[in-house]
Amino acid sequence: MRNLAGVVAAIGGSVWLTRSALADGWNMPLGVTDVSRDIHGLHMTIFWICVVIGIVVFGVMFYSLFRYRRSKGAKSAHFHENTTVEVVWTAIPLLILVGMALPATATLKEMYDAEDADLDVMVTGQQWRWHYEYLGEDVSFISNMSTPRDQIDGAAAKGENYLLEVDQPLVLPVDRKVRFLLTSDDVVHSWWVPDLAVKQDAIPGFVNENWVRIEEPGTYRGQCTELCGRNHGFMPVVVEAVPPEEFDTWLAERKQAAAREASGVDREWGMDELMTRGQKVYESVCASCHQVDGSGNPPVFPALANNPALMEERDRHIATVINGVSGAPMPAFSSTLSPVEIAAVVTYERNAWGNETGDIVQPSEIQSQLE
Amino acid sequence: MWQVLKSVLAAFFGVQKDQQRKKDFEEGRPTAFIIVGLLMALVLVVGIFLLATTAAE
Repeated sequence: MRNLAGVVAAIGGSVWLTRSALADGWNMPLGVTDVSRDIHGLHMTIFWICVVIGIVVFGVMFYSLFRYRRSKGAKSAHFHENTTVEVVWTAIPLLILVGMALPATATLKEMYDAEDADLDVMVTGQQWRWHYEYLGEDVSFISNMSTPRDQIDGAAAKGENYLLEVDQPLVLPVDRKVRFLLTSDDVVHSWWVPDLAVKQDAIPGFVNENWVRIEEPGTYRGQCTELCGRNHGFMPVVVEAVPPEEFDTWLAERKQAAAREASGVDREWGMDELMTRGQKVYESVCASCHQVDGSGNPPVFPALANNPALMEERDRHIATVINGVSGAPMPAFSSTLSPVEIAAVVTYERNAWGNETGDIVQPSEIQSQLE
Repeated sequence: MWQVLKSVLAAFFGVQKDQQRKKDFEEGRPTAFIIVGLLMALVLVVGIFLLATTAAE
């Protein structure tokens, strides 16, 4: 009888420990969408089924080991087959599996139903940043990690959202169905936001679908979850969910900014403004490979500073930024940077770090090459 | 024939009585088991297909 009390206490203790661990944030989050709650429910159901199976199987095993031990004179039985037992231990797992498969399939069906979305967002992975495009709205931007280098190097105290903060978050409306179309410009990435229960591969040459209907405004953070190279850990995802009216205002502002950007193609730009703009673009997009000081990381990422080929061949320099380099990590920026940004960054690269070629590349020139 | 079908279904399930197994090896013809086995595999595939399509609607 004392043994039984011990067993009950041990089981109760384990269950209590598990429950408090789950409550302390060790578990997957409940999330803020219908689908994320379904997934969490499935996860907990299956978890507790496993706990019960574990307790029953190990309970029987340890009880038998203890009760029928040799020192008490137990003799092992010798028999070859027992059809009834075999049928039972085949049928029970079958029923358990079917019982888990039914709700799981229902949730999967819901997850894959990306039809009738109110908003389409193209998510493109790049080494090592995310590019977001609001389809049909002429709004697109690059989202870079904003954690300062000295925090990564251990020279400064780490911030609250260390490695999980970006310069421009993906802004989405709550209570609207948002469809994601995911792809990649270079290698396989994976776009993961636990609170939205979205974890979808972004594969070059493929377009994967996923969707959310966020129910609570807030900031939701995630990461790239497919090993994609050196800075895999430095391309976080930040989603800012806002009320629909606020989203409409934000989108209208971004559209105006995009229109202003497009009109920048028509005018002549001066050296100073191109250099200022170019430096911003360079540090946001190019510096992760070619380094802030243009020294690169040869042989994979060539140096741009004091690079004779770059300084002599202006046209090839422009073409490389627009089209990328086939078979190398250099992506084509024609789809992710505006003509103004390309002109500015090429001008910057041709005049920064002692390159001083004096070349000015006008946005109108880039525009004519893109057409 | 009933005996062959029963043995094939037992094989699908994965549990068979030893006494049945012995009987199959003494009395049964291999071709009968192969034909019924292939037929039942077809029935299983079509059954799962029908179940999945009706459930998807």
